[in-house]
Amino acid sequence: MSGPAKTKTGDLVERYLAAVKRRLPNAQAADITAELREALNDKLEAKEAELGRAAGADDVAAVLRVFGSPPLVAARYAGREYLIGPGLYPYFWQTQRIAVGLAIALAIVVAAVRSVQASDPMRVVWRGMSAAWEAGIFVFGVVTVVFLVMEQTGVAAKFEAAWDPRHLPRDNIRKPVSLFESLVALAFDALFIAWWVGVLRFENIIPDRWVRDSADLVASAEFSDAWGPVFLPVLALAILTALVHVADVFHPAWSRVRAAVVIAGNAGGLAVLWVLAQGGDLVDVVASTEGAEGAARLQVVLNNVAEISLPVAAIVFAIHICIEAWRVAGALRMRPPPAMA
Amino acid sequence: MPVGADIIEALRMELRRGTLILAVLGALREERYGYTLRSALAGQGVEIDEGALYPMLRRLETQGLLTSEWREDAKRQKRFYQLSNDGAAALKHLTDEWRAMNGAIEKILKETGR
Repeated sequence: MSGPAKTKTGDLVERYLAAVKRRLPNAQAADITAELREALNDKLEAKEAELGRAAGADDVAAVLRVFGSPPLVAARYAGREYLIGPGLYPYFWQTQRIAVGLAIALAIVVAAVRSVQASDPMRVVWRGMSAAWEAGIFVFGVVTVVFLVMEQTGVAAKFEAAWDPRHLPRDNIRKPVSLFESLVALAFDALFIAWWVGVLRFENIIPDRWVRDSADLVASAEFSDAWGPVFLPVLALAILTALVHVADVFHPAWSRVRAAVVIAGNAGGLAVLWVLAQGGDLVDVVASTEGAEGAARLQVVLNNVAEISLPVAAIVFAIHICIEAWRVAGALRMRPPPAMA
Repeated sequence: MPVGADIIEALRMELRRGTLILAVLGALREERYGYTLRSALAGQGVEIDEGALYPMLRRLETQGLLTSEWREDAKRQKRFYQLSNDGAAALKHLTDEWRAMNGAIEKILKETGR
């Protein structure tokens, strides 16, 4: 074969080489394509010898197809045929699941809070879904870029070197909390905190028929003064609970630190209940003069319910403390295996 | 359930991947350019795609295992490759490893009656 660049078949080879060259590093591109050109010429000569005639366009195309597509051939010269290698890949997916999940959950919580306050809740919900989708894609992109940089800078090897079997989760003490469970819990934590500090407001209007048969009466249930001393402690406990759920996202297995925090949180809950129990009525029913009598009756009923709820809540907190204490005891009973002879 | 052809092909490629480098280094104890190298390997029963061979040669040269130079042959410029001193040392290590592995696998296959 002579003068490949000037013939129809040679044109195909040159187009192929140009497509490879575009994808090669500048410093090596000319040298590599010169070598590939020679290799293709040798190959085409052998093909022509085999056919006993000059190679046609179809023959050249067949040879080039076997050689490989330009992106594939160029990628092989790059020496790295992946963006995120096998060393980082498991961490990459784990981080994506957590980061994208958190972004979507956060967007949904924000949308839920806004929809409660909005005059057109459905519109806010639709916007929220769109925002959640965009947040998920954005976070996916950011995490991908971060891992690309980590791959390029060789952090993957440090990840593997940092791994320590002694940090393996104690799944035998308690099953790890699923990511979905943690995210749902976090969403409720966010809603509660937003409500507790007054960012999110619900109308505490009591239906008329509960107080008296009057269409004009407006009555509402409010926290009594007994809640004043526990406002900050309850907020602190809610934040602590949210932090535990955030920790569950990154470290879903049981740990002694988590158990200690849960025990402390539930003990704090018991203290709050004790303060509330000393404070008298927990609920005030506020109504216009017209319905004062009915409101007073309802207030008695609600406070009776609250009075029963306090010990029930105390029992629940105590059970949680016992369960975690039992788990800690179980972990302490474990002994390392005897040394190998 | 029989093993799928795609699975067999993937396993075969995985098995061949490391051994191709050994074959290339072994064949380049004698100076060759890409086309003659591929023909020499094929003559010994080791087929390798050009699309994989040329990048591999470049990578081995970057690693210092091969040397190369452009030279005229049959009135055309060719890039000739040959094993460097480091490449010869690497080839010896890999050959020892290959023989040890080959012997061990032969023994295992005999013991399991295959």
